[in-house]
Amino acid sequence: MAGTGHAQLRDRDDVLLRVEDLVVHFPAGRRSVVHAVSEVSFDVAEGETLGIVGESGCGKSTVARAIIRLVDITAGEVLYAGQDLAGLEGEDLRGVRPQVQMIFQDPISSLNPRRRVRDVIAEGLAVWGDDIGSWSRDRIDELMDAVGVEAKYGARRPHEFSGGQCQRIGIARALALDPKVLICDEPVSALDVSIQAQILNLLQDMKRRYGLTVLFISHDLSVVKNVSDRIVVMYLGKVCEIGDTAEIYSHPAHPYTRALLASIPEPAPTVDVSEGDIGDELPSATDPPGGCRFHTRCPRATGICGEVEPVSEQVGDADHYVACHHPVAVQVTAR
Amino acid sequence: MADQAASAGAPLLSVRDLHVRFPTERGTVNAVNGVSFDLYEGKTLAIVGESGSGKSVTAKTLMNLLPRTARVSGEVTYDGKDVRALAAGKVKHFFGVQMTMVFQDPMTSLNPVKKVGEQIAETLRYHLGRSRGEALAEARELLNVVGIPEPARRVSQYPHELSGGLRQRVVIAMALACQPRLLIADEPTTAVDVTVQKHLLDLLDGLRRDRGMSMILITHDLGVAHGRADDVAVMYAGRVVETADARSLFFDMRHPYTEALLRSIPRIDDPVHHRLDPIPGRPPELIDPPDECAFAPRCVYAQADCLGGVPTLSGLVGLHRFACLHPTGTERGMAAMAANRAAGTTAAGLAVTDRGGGGG
Repeated sequence: MAGTGHAQLRDRDDVLLRVEDLVVHFPAGRRSVVHAVSEVSFDVAEGETLGIVGESGCGKSTVARAIIRLVDITAGEVLYAGQDLAGLEGEDLRGVRPQVQMIFQDPISSLNPRRRVRDVIAEGLAVWGDDIGSWSRDRIDELMDAVGVEAKYGARRPHEFSGGQCQRIGIARALALDPKVLICDEPVSALDVSIQAQILNLLQDMKRRYGLTVLFISHDLSVVKNVSDRIVVMYLGKVCEIGDTAEIYSHPAHPYTRALLASIPEPAPTVDVSEGDIGDELPSATDPPGGCRFHTRCPRATGICGEVEPVSEQVGDADHYVACHHPVAVQVTAR
Repeated sequence: MADQAASAGAPLLSVRDLHVRFPTERGTVNAVNGVSFDLYEGKTLAIVGESGSGKSVTAKTLMNLLPRTARVSGEVTYDGKDVRALAAGKVKHFFGVQMTMVFQDPMTSLNPVKKVGEQIAETLRYHLGRSRGEALAEARELLNVVGIPEPARRVSQYPHELSGGLRQRVVIAMALACQPRLLIADEPTTAVDVTVQKHLLDLLDGLRRDRGMSMILITHDLGVAHGRADDVAVMYAGRVVETADARSLFFDMRHPYTEALLRSIPRIDDPVHHRLDPIPGRPPELIDPPDECAFAPRCVYAQADCLGGVPTLSGLVGLHRFACLHPTGTERGMAAMAANRAAGTTAAGLAVTDRGGGGG
């Protein structure tokens, strides 16, 4: 993409969330706008974990925030169970919110420091009351137990917990309303290395236990690979590559994906991504490059890349779609 | 790349039994507890650890950047000179000249209201007595050395006009200005994206080689330490728990913490949905630590003797050293693991299942 297109959208009955041609602009003064998200399309099937990966400024967090309407959607559709969230207002929007919950990057600042953690977790239940399942001590104890925070600490305040514990509390709060979709925005980036694995395993357990569909946003390719069934690689507001996780990591077709993989400092790299050097200058999102947005840094770019925006196309017959005029040839294994 | 001949002779920097304590309202924080290492000319030492492990405090001690409340003991020798005595004597042209530092966040290490060229030139004028014109010309050349395109235009830009990667290059240019022999880089790439990180690490590596500099690379990222360092020291709770050449440390580690840390990180070549092996519990308190191995409460190898005192680093400085009574990959370690598995628990009360830890 760094282009547009719908080839990656699946025609299946179990698609729970479908984002189509999503556009988010932020005003940047003097009639200029930041093109944060530009015509992004993807879908998530029920029970799936979709990873969104890319560097800062690629629009991955904005996509997540647009889905739950924390930022205004400029154009496009966000279909949740067939209903367009982009057009919902007032009570209708409020009615959907319990079903799509979010956990955030900074676990400490996302909890109200003046409240007891039990009340933080219970707030959604207190608001929604009997619509969802009434507030009860047992329910909160069960949630705290599920995320591994001892219920006897419920009267403490967030500053008395470590970062990892606070993230567990954030997860309990998100799960309290029994959501269908959990959006995780860089949930482990602020945590120490030895704590990250605990939280990643917990998210996996919670997904299984509560039958969640997960949208997992991270800049860390190893983390995304670990948790995701499918992944979307984004660059400067556009989708580069999308598909089955194992397929994309073993046969990256987009030059940007290859560059990302080649940059990972890894104790013992095994993925062959020999060509992968790209410059460090990210173009401005207020005036993104024409054609393919990646062409200014791409080692394979030719004349067409600056003029015509690539449209996503399937790679072979796999669950793998790439938007690039010169994708890296992928050997299709005969089956 | 390890050139054994270069290791001969006296080390450029030698740290012995360094202790740093901070008195606070809640008690004394034992931030660094007896750290020793040597760094030879032209080599890179990576200091790896999590927050609170004492890695940054160690670096700041070397650079004489600790707050006045810090209580420091131990020896730091640079090229035969006692660095702590130099610091006490308010020596003007040592820190920032011979020994310089690059910090994590380039935005806070640059002055936002001063053009980047001026900031680099300032260093040259203060330490080397260059004239304004000379210093600005040198600043331009330095921007070129650190790979900033169009240096003639960039010298007169402000930090906010540059991307995060370019800002960090400016900070590196400032650190290089006086031709230091030792560069301390404290999490130099933590605030930037992964593609930029690769370029910055390549740059630091190249500069070290071309200029024969020595480097201390402080990082929480084991991947960063692996590709870039000759030697690695792993810190936990203010102590070096294991130190060795990079190869031995990553492929033949002895300390259970090093092993657990490597196992807990998701790796790009692991299969999708690979179940991670987290380290149970959390890092220890640094106020009034108990007299035991600090990692024992989280360690699957822990035996009764681990709780009876703090183990010291084995062997001689410069060799593969580790502070553990039941090291992984040894018979003692295997016996400890087998005993804990049979008992279902460690001496510190940590439950051990067949999955937990591993070893052997």
